[in-house]
Amino acid sequence: MNPQDPDRLETSIHRILRSVPDRRAPAGLQGRVLAEIARRQALPWWRKSFAHWPAAVRALFFGGSAIVAALVVSGLLLVWYSSGAAGMAGASEPFAWIRAARDFLTSTNSSLHQVYAAIPRLWLFGAAAVIASLYALLGAISATAYRAISYARHTA
Amino acid sequence: MQNPTSGLASPADFTSFMRQYQDMVFTTSARLVRNDAQAEDIAQEVFIKAYEHFDMLSTSPSAGGWLKTVATNLSLNHLQRYRNRWRFFSEMSAEDSSGGEATQVEFAAPDTFFAQMDAEEKRSIVDDAIAKLPDHQRIPLVLYHYEDVPYDEIARRLGVSLAKVKTDILRARAALAKILSRSGAHLESLSP
Repeated sequence: MNPQDPDRLETSIHRILRSVPDRRAPAGLQGRVLAEIARRQALPWWRKSFAHWPAAVRALFFGGSAIVAALVVSGLLLVWYSSGAAGMAGASEPFAWIRAARDFLTSTNSSLHQVYAAIPRLWLFGAAAVIASLYALLGAISATAYRAISYARHTA
Repeated sequence: MQNPTSGLASPADFTSFMRQYQDMVFTTSARLVRNDAQAEDIAQEVFIKAYEHFDMLSTSPSAGGWLKTVATNLSLNHLQRYRNRWRFFSEMSAEDSSGGEATQVEFAAPDTFFAQMDAEEKRSIVDDAIAKLPDHQRIPLVLYHYEDVPYDEIARRLGVSLAKVKTDILRARAALAKILSRSGAHLESLSP
């Protein structure tokens, strides 16, 4: 056989690899699987993944989540109205809540901008430099540790 | 023992199902991850998933294919996680020595060395030879030759280019032939 012929080599290697039998699975595998299945089945439903929850509980969860979300939004709007930022007359208009929500987001955004503008630039650059330095230091320590462990393994 | 999807599943049925496929599932994982303990963990996860779908699998003629696909996917996920975690550090180390030009294969003279061996010994020699390949050659080689995954699918799943997959598999074959030759095997004599 010409060893430089890729097609022949492919065929040969394929035949060799496919001719070898499977390895024997560890003797304890079966016991481990059955024990793990039994352990998972013994768990209460609330400790299993969401897909294994009873259908009624899942429906309740969705309903509850929707109610909580509605309460949070209503609460935020109430706080905004009670702060006097919006006239009560506006609340009676249809879709007034959309305008209220938009105003709330706008005011939050401008507040954040004000806070950002109040921080001296030097502080921001300094904080970024410190974070970058710490990150580089962490990388260097990890790389050194990895190479040391890897070297120890190779020379062991 | 209860099946979550169907109410009841006989433990005896599932046990005999496992007994039928456990060697194949374990071998599939072990060839990819090259670590027996991790392969056993993956095999365990495969059979737990199989148990959840036992209704369908117990009567399906393609149960073996399903198990093999799940074992392959879980093994690749495991390797991907491991690779992401260590890629930065491992790539700081020197590239593997077999990453250069394609290895010149020298075949040993035909002999009867393998003719006197049983299948288990032959398997041990081949598995050891595969284990000596670096990950970037071994994984595509195993996917191509054992799992029948085409080149483009391997490239997609490993997130590398098609050209790299073809080159890596080509080099892996050459390296494998060289390792087998060094072990005294003649390629033709290893074939069935």
